[in-house]
Amino acid sequence: MAGTIIGSGITIEGEITSDEDVVVAGTVRGKLSAEGPVTVDTGAVVEADIAAASLSVGGNVTGNVTASERVNLLAGGRLIGDVKAARLTIADGASFKGNVDMNV
Amino acid sequence: MADLSTIGRGTTIRGNIRGDGDLDVHGRVDGSVTVKGELSIAETALVKSDVSARRVVVRGAVAGNVSADESLVLEAGARVVGDLSAPRIGIRPGALLRGNVTTAGAENAPARARAGARPAAAEPARTPARAATPARPAVSAHTPSPTPAARAPMPAARPPAQTPVAPPRAAAPTHNPSHNSASHSASASDGVKAPSREGPPPPVVPSLGRGAKASLKRKGAR
Repeated sequence: MAGTIIGSGITIEGEITSDEDVVVAGTVRGKLSAEGPVTVDTGAVVEADIAAASLSVGGNVTGNVTASERVNLLAGGRLIGDVKAARLTIADGASFKGNVDMNV
Repeated sequence: MADLSTIGRGTTIRGNIRGDGDLDVHGRVDGSVTVKGELSIAETALVKSDVSARRVVVRGAVAGNVSADESLVLEAGARVVGDLSAPRIGIRPGALLRGNVTTAGAENAPARARAGARPAAAEPARTPARAATPARPAVSAHTPSPTPAARAPMPAARPPAQTPVAPPRAAAPTHNPSHNSASHSASASDGVKAPSREGPPPPVVPSLGRGAKASLKRKGAR
């Protein structure tokens, strides 16, 4: 299935829990918890803690991030918060401020 | 991408959703949904709060008021407990509804309702709200669907249980002169056992008793 897509005009204030993949292009404030991959598109604003299997940040994320697999911070992405993941990539051009714990 | 958003089937949102564009809800939302475009509530969806959009199509469950700026359609499979309000409202056969229905500036709902079963659904739905529970057996009797558990005991309780219903029924004739809707609901519940002997019920003045009759029905039905 397509999973959950939060379009650019949509604002969700509250908790999101999903067992499938989530693509955020809009605004999310609260908490986001998914069992699948989460993608934060360019232009998205996420002010929430994110827990996901994997996470790709191309937009603006403010909050702690926990991924069971990997976190990719793409160019143009901005992440302010702590990251807890087994694998992490930070692309050239991304902004990041926070701690990193790679379960070492 | 800017336009259509989807809340997938495995997703639960506890909070409010607002925005422009269209939204397709397949999952659960415990909170209000206000969208400026078209809102589609799929069969697997469950929305527990008010819902508002320019155009709304409901195929799933909504526990809350539904309002639309343009048009509102309940398709077969829709289960709505709450008021509907839109300039144009469509309720397809198979949709379940418990609540008031208001189209723009219309007070004559029985006349506007579309087909035979619908006047029964729309007309108790038109009763000035709160003590509307006693009229529910009329609605449930016409639209047999076991999915909402709340409705299942009611049609089950009324027709087969002639005896438990007897004491309220015995009281019913005494209330008959004052509340013709009482005989209404009684005959509608008979209608479940024997095919309705009087076609679509005549548009009665839904003067539902807020007093003894309502409480008797409540005791008898639940």
